[in-house]
Formats: sequence, C-alpha cells, structure tokens
Amino acid sequence: MAMIERTEWYDLLRATNWTPKYVTEDELFPEEMSGHRGIPIEDWETYDEPYKVTYPEYVEIQREKDAGAYSVKAALARDKFLERADPGWISILQAHYGALALAEYGAIVGEARMARFSKAPGNRNMATFGMMDETRHAQLQLFFPHANCKLDRKWDWAHKALHTNEWAALAGRHFFEDIIHSRDAISMGIMLTFAFETGFTNMQFLGLAADAAEAGDHTFSSLISSIQTDESRHAQQGGPMVKLLVEKGMKADAQRLIDIAFWRSWKLFSVLTGPMMDYYTPMEHRSQSFKEFMQEWIVGQFERSILDMGLDKPWYWDQFLRDLDETHHGMHLGVWYWRPTVWWNPRAGVNPDEREWLEEKYPGWNDTFGKCWDVIIDNLVNDRVEQTLPETLPLVCNMSNIPIVGTPADGWNVKDYPLKYKDRLYHFGSEPDRWCFEQEPERYADHLSFVDRFLAGMMEPMDLSGALKYMSLAPGEIGEDAYGLAWADIYKEMAHKKAG
Amino acid sequence: MSQDASLNNMVGPIVRAGEVADAVAEAMEIDNPGKEVIVDDKLAYLRISVEDECILRKETMEEVLGHSFEMRELEINLSSFAGKIENTKDYVRFYFERHL
Repeated sequence: MAMIERTEWYDLLRATNWTPKYVTEDELFPEEMSGHRGIPIEDWETYDEPYKVTYPEYVEIQREKDAGAYSVKAALARDKFLERADPGWISILQAHYGALALAEYGAIVGEARMARFSKAPGNRNMATFGMMDETRHAQLQLFFPHANCKLDRKWDWAHKALHTNEWAALAGRHFFEDIIHSRDAISMGIMLTFAFETGFTNMQFLGLAADAAEAGDHTFSSLISSIQTDESRHAQQGGPMVKLLVEKGMKADAQRLIDIAFWRSWKLFSVLTGPMMDYYTPMEHRSQSFKEFMQEWIVGQFERSILDMGLDKPWYWDQFLRDLDETHHGMHLGVWYWRPTVWWNPRAGVNPDEREWLEEKYPGWNDTFGKCWDVIIDNLVNDRVEQTLPETLPLVCNMSNIPIVGTPADGWNVKDYPLKYKDRLYHFGSEPDRWCFEQEPERYADHLSFVDRFLAGMMEPMDLSGALKYMSLAPGEIGEDAYGLAWADIYKEMAHKKAG
Repeated sequence: MSQDASLNNMVGPIVRAGEVADAVAEAMEIDNPGKEVIVDDKLAYLRISVEDECILRKETMEEVLGHSFEMRELEINLSSFAGKIENTKDYVRFYFERHL
C-alpha cells in the first residue's frame, strides 16, 4: 500500500485549534498559563517547529535509544568499573544524579504546560513528546544510580537531594522553580527549552560525556549522550517562539527572558560542572578544560544561535567572558572547604602537576586561587586539618543561592552587590544576579537563602551540626575529601625533603 | 579577556561516537563538495562542522553504511547540532540565516 509522505499530512494532522463551544478562548488559554501575550491565535498557528516527529516515529526511535542505553549498562555491569574508578569520578556521578535526576521530573511539568496551554498546535504536539522524553530522563537517571545504593549511601541522593534543604539542592530548586515551574508556557519554553536545553545542558550531557569516555566510564557516557539526543529535538521548541515574539515587536521581552535564564544557568554550572571538569576528573582523562568546553558549547555554538535569531548578546557578555577564567575556581575552593555540606566527596585536584595544568589553562591561577590552596596545603602538611574545615557559613547570593565568590590574592575582586528592597537587605554575587532580581522583585523577594534561614533561627543548634541536620545530611552522607586527604602526602614529602 | 568565539559561521551535527558518526563524517564530505568538512573527535562525540550550510542525504548514508538507513534514525545519535535544522525524509540540512 502506498503511504502518503509525512510532510504532506503533518501540518494538517496537528492543526488542533478547534473552536471551543463550552468555554471562551480566554478560559481555555488563560494568559497566566498560556503566555500568548495578546498575539492572535491565528498567528500562533504559524509556529513552525523545525524538528517534526509523528507518534509512530517517536516510539520507534525512542525504543532504539533505550535499548542502546540499557544494553550498554547490562554489558558493562560485569566490568565493575566503579570498583576501580577514581574517587573523584564517583563524586562526579553522585553530584550529577543528585542535582539532575529529580529536576527531570520538573521538566516534565514544563513540557506539560506547553502541551496544554500553548496556543501553537505545533508546540503542543512537540511538547507531548517532550513530556515523554523527560519521563525517560528521570527514570534512567534514577535507575542507573539505584544499582549502586548497596555500595554507598551517597548514591541514594539521586532520589533524595532535591527533597532536602541541602544548600546546593536549594540553589537548584530556586533556579528550576524560577525558569520552569512558575512561568507561563511561552516564557518557560524560551527559558527552559531554548536557553537551558540548547545551551547549557550540552555542557553536562556532552562535554562531561567526553570526559566520561576518556575516564573509561562508557555506561555514563552512553547514558548522558543518549539523553541529549532527546534534548536536541525538543529543545527546538523555543526557537519559533522567539521568532514570533521578534516579529510581533516583542524582542525585548524575549531577550530579557534569555538573559535571565542564561545568567542563572551559568552560575549553576559554575558550581556544578566547573569543579567536575577542572578538579574532580583525573587530569589524564580531561579532554578539555571547563573554559574550553564553555567556549565550544556556550560561546561558539549557543551564543551564535542567539545572534542568528536576531537577538543581541546579553548586556553582561564581556563580564561573562571574563568570569569563564574565574568563577568556578572560587566555587570549587568553597565546595571543597565546606565539604561536609555536600552529598559527594569533593576532590581537591591541586597536586603539583594538576596545578601546572591549571596554570597553563588559566594563566595566573597560582598567584590567585593557588595562594588560598597554599594556606590549605600548609595546614595539612602541619597536621592542622581542623583549620581546613568550616566553622561559619559563607555569604550566599540571594539570586543564585550559591556562595558569593571572586578572585582572591593578587587578583582580588571579591565584592558583594547589595540591594535594599522593602526594608530587607539582599546580597548578590554579581551585577547580573542583582539585575535578575530587579526585573521582577516580587517574584523573588520572599525567598530565604540558606544563610537567611540560619540567621532566622531555622537551624538548631546554630552551628555546623544544626546546619547538617537541616540539610538532612546523615553520617555516611556527609561529604569528605575524596582521597581522605592522602593527596597532601606529596606536599608533606616535599616539606620533609626541604627541611632535611 | 577571552576571544569571543561566538563570531563564527560553523554549522553541523554533533554525533555520538560510533558507526553512524563515522558514516556521517564520510557522507558529509560527499554531500558537500567544494566545502571543507571539519571533524573534531571528542571520543564520546564527533563535532562535524561546515561553514554557513551543509546537507546530509539518506542515500549517501546508505551508500556509506552499506545498508538501508532512514533519515529519522539519525536522531538516535544526534546529540546536538550547530545552526538551525531542516529535517526531511531524504535529507537533513544545517544552516544559519545570517552570515556574520
């Protein structure tokens, strides 16, 4: 039987803007959820998704993808990679799953909002597949780490992390609730699918896959790069939204949404992906530096696609490029120092040869961040471990909800960006973080950062033990140095030789 | 300050490493005569780049692979792409609307 070519019936098939009889169009598509911005429904019907798929095609292709990911896992399960993996690599996996597995469920909600409330039929159709994609990602990333729960309680944080008030989980929730859960379908589509998914997820799901392949973790490499094949399809939903908004004279609206989502994504990845790539991955397995991956994926590929839409570079672009050399080093320093407060074991990654690598990739590293590590190393060499552990809390940004960092020592630029709003003093880690707040203060004003909560007496007793209890970090889950500080032995030997 | 790498015109697929990725790299050479096809091997993926615009045809993929191949099967390994995409039964095209 001759089949009619898909391109000839697809547009008709998904023309599902029927005329409602029992409710008005406004009741069917309330602006708060739909975000149609008063653009007539006929114009939304011109939304032309670049990546078209039908349900039978979707099922066939997704089945192949899953068969691949699960069979790689099954085949390599006997290989017992985790038993010989570097402890730093295991920390990467535990941090990754905890930060992202449940966030995928959040993304299902976002896709569902477009599937129900977008006035563009093409958007609704693709978002239906997007919902199923995100369900797949959530399930895969809970199932894969679950097999390891018998090895170590930290694996359980794949499921647990986002249910807790652990500070990094709190930062992740604040971000995802801002760009996914509390925006109309169109704003969410631009912020999540365009800014986050065509941009930043490539860093964590492809950049990291390259390091995973180098490290010999083919199960993880295959898993996350397979997940990203779904993203590359459903992330295409945001582009036609931006196009329509630009055509309707709403370029500033689209630009603002992207600028907020871009900056917030950057800050989250500076604390998550940055340390993983430049410090946790054993040096011999680093395919590129974090900055080089950012240059490849975010600057070279993603920002270029923004320009192709007729939008402009974010107003903070020059600062962003400068920060690629700095921010994540400060984040790493903080996460390692406050290591009891995370659910993975941070790897210091500052052996003499690693410092040489850092200096080569980030000229000036030894005169800035290196000087802080000199103090830490000196304390470890002289058996003053307690001085490498926190007794107080860092200053936390009221937008990113991660520590306020800057470059220390010779490059000193650490600075708080305060803002007084309705009698409350807020603190921000940068001008763009403060700018995000100022765009819609009421959206963010009531939120309490981790430190705000501590000062409000929400953690008892008011010390590290109270903070750990508040974060649901139980013994066996509390982070420690990935090598039990054995990495400092080389510095002890060096000091010994020098003295002898 | 870092050089601004956003000022480029490279488009093309990023394909998970394997048989299909190697075939795409080879087919791109055939389907885009006169254009330089840059293949950057990142072990987990191949970044295949061409300036401004490039095309990948189903029949070329079948020729290179030596068996039948539906264009939609590319998605199984297409982790990302630079530029915009046009997807049809017979070919996939990557392109930019504006040359910088």
